[in-house]
Amino acid sequence: MHPQLELLLELQDLHTQRRALHEEPLRDMEEAVFDLKPEDALELLDSKITELIGRLDPGIQRRYLSIIGTLGRAVVPVLNGICYGCYVATPTAWSSEAGRNDSIGVCAHCGRFLYYVD
Amino acid sequence: MQLRDFFTLEAINLDLEAETKDEALRELVGLLGLDEKSRGILFKMLKRRENLGSTGIGRRIAIPHCRSLVVNRLRVAFGRKLSGIDFDAIDKKPVQHIFLIVAPPLEVSNQYLPVLGRIAQFGKEPDVPERLAQIESPEEFIALLEEKGV
Repeated sequence: MHPQLELLLELQDLHTQRRALHEEPLRDMEEAVFDLKPEDALELLDSKITELIGRLDPGIQRRYLSIIGTLGRAVVPVLNGICYGCYVATPTAWSSEAGRNDSIGVCAHCGRFLYYVD
Repeated sequence: MQLRDFFTLEAINLDLEAETKDEALRELVGLLGLDEKSRGILFKMLKRRENLGSTGIGRRIAIPHCRSLVVNRLRVAFGRKLSGIDFDAIDKKPVQHIFLIVAPPLEVSNQYLPVLGRIAQFGKEPDVPERLAQIESPEEFIALLEEKGV
């Protein structure tokens, strides 16, 4: 896997964790069952997100910040050749290629970073 | 929806080798049959969740959980370590029974929260920690879930 894609995946997963702390049923469960302090958790997540963004290559970082700012999710899975950001088929050549995650792929339609899931 | 529908026998380990929390998380992730890179990313995310606050809910039970792009559907696993693992649990006691739950960020059927809730509910039943300590096979684990109707 491309090291920058690995960073992007981590970043997207952190954003997902962050978003979950704003969703009432899950946040309530995190507080009630796991004794989580959402405000403290958000602070820690934000700090980690900032750190990881700083480790992105400049061009990737620019694209990432632009997409996060406009589309919300910057990294999306590709399942059965479909980009799960915009639900448009990715080029067959890319989605059928071995080692797809060894390079940075972006959706030709929505511009999001793509992660191929088996 | 029944919890038993989500557990495969291969994802149940009643004799974890792990001695530490990190080792236990790695061993549980290993039960999911993911490739090496995906296992590494998932482990990192579970660690990040643990850094926000332990998922050891007390009564010798922990429920590490997260959403991650590296899985394409909800996955669960169960691991047991009878001698206990320090999990920094709410009650500060060692954890013996670990339920792992991971799900993709987007799920059509949105099962992550209900499954998390059912496992938490299961773990709160008074006799469950002792019953989990007594089971001798993955099949008995599934049978216990069925008996409890979760």
